[in-house]
Amino acid sequence: MNRSTKILRYVLRRLMQGIPIIIAIIVLNFFLLNMAEGDAVDVLAGEAGSATPEYMAELRAKFGLDQPLPVQLMVYLKNVALLDLGYSFRHDMPVAQLILDRFWPTLLLMTCTILTAVGFGILLGLLAAINLNTWKDTAISIFALITYATPLFWVGLMMIVVFSINLGWFPTSGMENIAAFYEGWDRVWDIAHHLVLPTITLSLFYLALYTRMMRASMLEQYGQDYVVTAKAKGLTERRITFVHVLRNALLPVVTMAGVQVGALIGGSVIVESVFAWPGLGMLAFESLFARDLNLLLGIFMISSVLVVVVNLIVDVIYSFLDPRIEVA
Amino acid sequence: MKRLIQGAVLASSIIASSFTALAQTDGGTLVYLAQPEPPTLASYVSTSGPIGLVAPKIYEGLFDYDTEGKMIPVLAKSVDVSADGKTVTFTLQDGVVWHDGTPFTSADVKFSVMEVLSKVHPRGPNSFREVESIDTPDDTTAVFHLKNPAPYMLRALSGYESPMVPKHLLEGTDIKSADLANNPIGTGPYKFTEWKKGQYIRLDKNEDYWKEGLPHVERVVARFIPDASTRTAAMENGEVLYTGYNGIPNIDAVRLRDRDDISVTTDGYSMINPMALLEFNTKEGPFTDPAVRRAISNAIDRQFMIDTIFFGYGKPASSALSSSFAATDLYKPMPNYPAAGDVEAAKKILDDAGYKPDGDGVRMKAILDVIPYGEDWRRAGEYLKQALGDIGIEIELRYEDVPTWLKRVYHNYDFVMNLNYFYQLPDPVLGVHRHYGTDQIRQGTHFVNSSRYSNPKLDALLDAGAKEPDAAKRSAIYEDVQEILAEDMPVVNLFEMQFLTVYNTKLKGVYGSAMGPYGSFSEGWLEE
Amino acid sequence: MSFWKRFARNRQAVLGMFILALVILMALFAGAFYPDDPFRLAGKPLAPPGTSGFLLGSDSLGRDVASGIAHGAKTSIMIGLVATVAAVFIGVIFGALSGYYGGKIDDALMRVTEMFQTIPSFVFAILLVAIMKPSIESIVIAITVVSWPGVARLVRGEFLALKNREFVQACHTLGMGDIQIMLREILPNCVSPIIVVGSLMVATAILIESGLAFLGLGDPNIMSWGFQIGAGRTMLRSAWWVCTFPGIAILVTVLAINLVGEGLNDALNPRLRERQ
Repeated sequence: MNRSTKILRYVLRRLMQGIPIIIAIIVLNFFLLNMAEGDAVDVLAGEAGSATPEYMAELRAKFGLDQPLPVQLMVYLKNVALLDLGYSFRHDMPVAQLILDRFWPTLLLMTCTILTAVGFGILLGLLAAINLNTWKDTAISIFALITYATPLFWVGLMMIVVFSINLGWFPTSGMENIAAFYEGWDRVWDIAHHLVLPTITLSLFYLALYTRMMRASMLEQYGQDYVVTAKAKGLTERRITFVHVLRNALLPVVTMAGVQVGALIGGSVIVESVFAWPGLGMLAFESLFARDLNLLLGIFMISSVLVVVVNLIVDVIYSFLDPRIEVA
Repeated sequence: MKRLIQGAVLASSIIASSFTALAQTDGGTLVYLAQPEPPTLASYVSTSGPIGLVAPKIYEGLFDYDTEGKMIPVLAKSVDVSADGKTVTFTLQDGVVWHDGTPFTSADVKFSVMEVLSKVHPRGPNSFREVESIDTPDDTTAVFHLKNPAPYMLRALSGYESPMVPKHLLEGTDIKSADLANNPIGTGPYKFTEWKKGQYIRLDKNEDYWKEGLPHVERVVARFIPDASTRTAAMENGEVLYTGYNGIPNIDAVRLRDRDDISVTTDGYSMINPMALLEFNTKEGPFTDPAVRRAISNAIDRQFMIDTIFFGYGKPASSALSSSFAATDLYKPMPNYPAAGDVEAAKKILDDAGYKPDGDGVRMKAILDVIPYGEDWRRAGEYLKQALGDIGIEIELRYEDVPTWLKRVYHNYDFVMNLNYFYQLPDPVLGVHRHYGTDQIRQGTHFVNSSRYSNPKLDALLDAGAKEPDAAKRSAIYEDVQEILAEDMPVVNLFEMQFLTVYNTKLKGVYGSAMGPYGSFSEGWLEE
Repeated sequence: MSFWKRFARNRQAVLGMFILALVILMALFAGAFYPDDPFRLAGKPLAPPGTSGFLLGSDSLGRDVASGIAHGAKTSIMIGLVATVAAVFIGVIFGALSGYYGGKIDDALMRVTEMFQTIPSFVFAILLVAIMKPSIESIVIAITVVSWPGVARLVRGEFLALKNREFVQACHTLGMGDIQIMLREILPNCVSPIIVVGSLMVATAILIESGLAFLGLGDPNIMSWGFQIGAGRTMLRSAWWVCTFPGIAILVTVLAINLVGEGLNDALNPRLRERQ
């Protein structure tokens, strides 16, 4: 069996394993949500101010909420199997469309965050490892820990106060300047401008992880035999660090980053809330309190699918990068 | 604290007078905050607050009301009420068209009232309950035939409360799930253009608006920012120009008030008349005895709640009716509502009623449910827990999310004390009766008589109050109503809330309506 | 003891230990310093630090921020510890069974673990708290549910590595039962990584609690740092002290726990290597 068919079989097997996991997630969340008091109709009626029980019963019948739970679940699963995520009665819109609208902003924010966090994490981890046990090493590890331990919303709000109110460099929130409605490259630039503060805030949180991983990974590589050999061959410390150690040390860090992109698809409720970023996290949060079951299940499902797929991609890439690791 | 409020009122009146002197400029984009994001824009099936912040810019009503409560013609030029009060004739504006170009006629009015508002609107069935039929002799005349006189109906004709909707788009469809909910077509000054969920709703100027020369603004954008502190920051930065219904927390409003470019007003809420209150379960639990409820009313320092939680905005309640009903002479101050609280009096009531404190000073224990509509209410709950602890009522707080809370209070009646607020609306018939009448014990219906208080004497008075056309007699009836309620206290009114509108002074011309943020912004314009 | 010597050599870890000890002392003696209920309306609302008899100021209802921090320490540390112990307990059971038995059991248990790892964890925690209504118990349960899969994976890895070692094989030949082997022989040998992971989990749990409180999902009847942050966050601009001090308390505690965790890691890992 050659390598590519082997990988293909591996991918298929993993995907098959993923399906029951996703079905289990749907079923679990379906029952959890139905354990909660009140339903979408209660919320709509409560917001509306007042509605008669007859009117509410009529709405429930329309939404299919009057059916027994197993029937509702079966209907949902059947629809999902047909790639139909259902309808959000609250928004009067198909779930797929609602999720898609929020998906790109989420992906944008998360990708930028991971790139920033990994980039600076690698840099700081490298610096710390080179200057092992000096004040620089200590300062870097304390800095990384502080950024991790500071509550996110506090960092976010301080960012807004300093960089948008006091200095006026960035807009406070949102994804686009909505007084202007830019088009083309102006729009790209505008979105990038809005992206800066949330990205920095969120990446500060993940920075500690990558800094620490990079440092540990560098130290581990330093202890390997090939470094000793290289030293014996008379290579300079610099060359050993940047050519040999660095390359090998990056591998686990980059893998971790890949895994996190998957996990971050669910969005970050706090950063999205502080910066009014139209991501999936806030959508999930709102749909939970509105008992918009179809929408919430849809979000859970989409993000689970993405986690499974991204993890798989990472594993496959990993096996290419490091031939010692066998798939299967 | 009074001084602050007067200051704010004064500031807004200066602005009101200065804008008439200046020439209005056309163009620009008016960005304002709507919080939270509305689920849809179907204002004809829901009076949900966030919908009200957006939809009245698109849909209009027959009349608007100024801050003194006077009727301002909108889609109706005039109204004529017959001597017996049973025939109400509206004459409509000429040349009004829907945003899709179809002419607006009296048939739309008839359809809106009879088929939509009276049937699927939450409050419409009450506002229009006396309407038997509507005649449309020509395109600009609508004659309402009533079973009984209904003076309160004329207070419920605004674009927020009773929007006129297009018959040609709704007739024959399921109104509750019509496509119109997300693609609204109205007659208003602004047309719906785009809705980016999670970000904004964009409305553009209606070039064919029936009022000559209006609107001035090219574009109106309702923006959504979930976090209150960020909303404040956006206001400070001039990214948004207007927000109502405490979209900016009072503590920040008090800070921003002193800036030259930002002002605060409490105008624009007189049709809403919100009242903060405690509802009690009068059927089971520790609060079935009216004496205990009276003691609670006496124990609460209402002014402290207003000063610390709402930063001075609000007025201690002094009766079952809001003091703003003084305008129609319905309000009378009552005993048992001490503004600063009277702990000794409260203790005495409990002692006299036989509730003795145990070794720890505890007379009874109870769970207080708190309305899940924001941080302020949590602070209020925490205050009440301390205040009632002082008279020996040990409280545990319970916060649940909206659906759970609604189900508990209005469906399962599984509560003993509930912190809540009600809109008393412009007339007691519309906003107060639903809280006390025996006919309003409607399991599963939200914001009605969840105390399950039932008093035939009171029911008779409420019934008489609704039908009495004579002002003096009506006043006497409601005095009796307030006396009974001050004694029985199925609901303890806490304070009359004052919502805040915070706005950038660059924005002019949107402050004259009693509907405030629920207004149409048709005369708004931007300085520069 | 060589472990303590190694630990003490790490100055950061010692500092962390010192801070942590202070926080724990504060939690234990909160009642002595501030005998009153921290929810009590103690005086002038929004008094800045150092005025009106408030060391760290008062909040919007006139509650003492310092008293809240002292009493809140107990709650926050309790939440962290209980959630971690529970998560470790579940994680160890799943991981041990999975790693020891392998095969179908491993497959089944790991699918369940993967499922919990696949759900977006913070949103899932929110969901659990919202459904069970906000209380200390529901917060602890939610944190436990989203934290245990990490432990399970770790323990499984350790068990996989250790189960074929000679000393375990020897136990089999001596006729020891599976449970006994797992509990008496393998588990003690993977205690150190569990301690390291667990210590960091306490810190994460405290952060999750504050995040939930920020979103309005804290327990309203028990003082905690998260509660204080939730109550003070909207006034950060006007009365910075109300949520900044509890924020600093969280920061310092989480930092200290992390430093201790790293110290433990450094001090424990060499031993593991020595044995190998």
